[in-house]
Amino acid sequence: MQWTDIIRWPLASLAQQKMRTSLTTLGVIFGAFVLAASLSINEGVQRTIERESSRGDVARKVTVSSGWRATETKTADDVKVAGRMSPERHERIRKTLAERAKQGSARQEQVNLTPEQLETLSRIPHVRKMVPVVGGPVVATLGNRPEEASVSSGAGEDPEFRKRVIFGRTFTKDDERSVLLSEMFAYRIGLVDDADLEQVIGMPLRIEIRNQEGGPSLYVSLTDRSRAASTHDEQMALRQLAWQIPEALDRFSLTDAERSALREALQPESSAADPAVVADDFRVVGIFRDLTDEENKDAWSRFPADTDLVLPRQTAVALTFRDPSRREQGIARAVLFVDDMKNVQEVVDKIEALGLNAGSAVEYIERERLTYLLIFGAMTCVAGVALLVSSLGIANTMLMSVLERRREIGIMKAVGAADWQLQALFIIEGGLIGLIGGSLGLLLAWATSFPSDAWVRDMVRRDMDIDLSCSIFAFSAQIAATILLFTIAVTILAALYPARRASKVDPVTALRHD
Amino acid sequence: MGSVCERGEVAAIRAVEVRKVYGAKHASVEALRGVSIEVASGERVALLGKSGSGKSTFLNLLGGLDRLSSGGLRVGGRDLDRLSGRAMAGFRSTTVGMIFQSFNLIASRSAIANVELPMVFAGRSSRDRRATAREALEAVGLGERLNHLPDQLSGGERQRVAVARALVNRPRVVLADEPTGNLDTQTARQVMDLILDHVREDAATLVLVTHDEELAASCTDRIVRLVDGRIVSQIP
Repeated sequence: MQWTDIIRWPLASLAQQKMRTSLTTLGVIFGAFVLAASLSINEGVQRTIERESSRGDVARKVTVSSGWRATETKTADDVKVAGRMSPERHERIRKTLAERAKQGSARQEQVNLTPEQLETLSRIPHVRKMVPVVGGPVVATLGNRPEEASVSSGAGEDPEFRKRVIFGRTFTKDDERSVLLSEMFAYRIGLVDDADLEQVIGMPLRIEIRNQEGGPSLYVSLTDRSRAASTHDEQMALRQLAWQIPEALDRFSLTDAERSALREALQPESSAADPAVVADDFRVVGIFRDLTDEENKDAWSRFPADTDLVLPRQTAVALTFRDPSRREQGIARAVLFVDDMKNVQEVVDKIEALGLNAGSAVEYIERERLTYLLIFGAMTCVAGVALLVSSLGIANTMLMSVLERRREIGIMKAVGAADWQLQALFIIEGGLIGLIGGSLGLLLAWATSFPSDAWVRDMVRRDMDIDLSCSIFAFSAQIAATILLFTIAVTILAALYPARRASKVDPVTALRHD
Repeated sequence: MGSVCERGEVAAIRAVEVRKVYGAKHASVEALRGVSIEVASGERVALLGKSGSGKSTFLNLLGGLDRLSSGGLRVGGRDLDRLSGRAMAGFRSTTVGMIFQSFNLIASRSAIANVELPMVFAGRSSRDRRATAREALEAVGLGERLNHLPDQLSGGERQRVAVARALVNRPRVVLADEPTGNLDTQTARQVMDLILDHVREDAATLVLVTHDEELAASCTDRIVRLVDGRIVSQIP
């Protein structure tokens, strides 16, 4: 028997019983449809989570901050248990005492993000880039006007940040001696006109990093106004006055003794542990705007740069580490970019082994993915059960077919059909139902995915204000192959028993004429 | 190769003490009770007997549709009691051709598809078997009705399709079980002539099961009578 006959004969048999074939195939179509829909949604949602999470490198980003590391742990083997008791009780008490001894004796030391640690972090395998993030309050002086400001580094690394530069330029090198001002900071210090912003480009700005309690050394207030009654502008002006008084002592009509006494009084108290004031001049190269509402949606995935000033990262680090005590205390945090999301956990483990704290979105993303995996796993099981139920229908239908076609089977045997050939014909018949039903189910799921996707995306847009960039359905070749193979396998399994029955038909009985 | 007959010819069929028992021990029916016969190659033999005499049972054993309970049976050079299931299927496909009283055509297949059937299971190519089936149907005068379904054919035409199907693989042994039983006299004569022509042409052996003594006498060389599963006479 040639292979073309093994296909052609079952096809002809199926065509002969059109209604029965259609109804049987309908069951398979339904099962395959549910299976295809379930698998494609699962794949699509997983991809969507991955894609949405990968925006702005958030999934590959690991934020590192200082942490604690155990330095020594006393071994608890030498714990003594007093008294005479059963070995079991002795062991229980010894174990508990050993645990307590261990906990009580743990020594820990703080691990800071020092230059050495930053170097170690940048050498961790799979780390593509390490961005130290220096931030905090500073005093920024443009001309002779000091102003409290917040500074950060890191945003300059983000390509998206370039869109926010409205005057001048962004950084070209990460160690250049430049600074970017936020337009609100500029406005606060009196650069209100566009022309002012253009003029400030190229001007020097002095940045001082003081200790955490930095601020004006004296307090200026109006005697006839309570603080609550004064306006914000008044308070800011008085604070500005307080800033400038120490520098302007020479202009007041004071004796040398008075001037000297005031200078001594205005000198900030310093202890050996406090960091020294470090200051340097930087050139203003650009002005950046705040995030728009649209950009704010994705702000979590980027460097928000919601500070007054932004420095190039190496410049910021160099400024911070200029003071030896700050070198020891380290910077607040560093951001590592890992080459692939799959390697993030490995990098996190390595960072934690160093005694530093590491945080990444991967754990959250993985938990989300697991949740969806469980939901769609359950859906797939339901689809599998639907297919199995339809396979029982196939088995029943084919068994009926064998009984109805006993005479035909007898004739085929009489003219030379071997048992295996008859089995093959029925098995292929089952397989063809699986192939046709599986293909149509797959096609139906694919066709249905378009309106379903549009509906879900519309719902997500409406309820969550998120625009999904791609379909939540994914029909990969692997999914199509899996569904087809599964439906064919199920229908072939269903056909096995009827096929065996067909091969066992006794031709003498089958051909006995009525 | 077949064994040598008493008459010195090569035996196409050699049955030795063939017994066939149906059913279990307590309710068994002995359909054949030690049938021994030799049929020479090219010989035409008629099996006569009443219903239940065992002639169809013996024909089914000769055609490889059933297995004997004991004894020995050699047909077309093959020991049927030793053939595996697969070899038996091959034997049915190529060595014997069977013609039934009720035609036994597949109702859903055209005349040409029915004739092709033995060649399908023999593994012949589609083109080859289509050409051969067409020739076989033309030879029985049905060249114009190749694509007709059995229901669209008369009884005589159906039996001619069955004859074409039985002979299409040029079997060495043709087994006909009351092939004219459902036909009128004239059509029966035509069908029988057709079978005999082909048997003569291919020098095949014919075993004809019939109730019709006249048909047996006119169409065969020997008449074998069966009664209660035993051969009671052979003429000549």
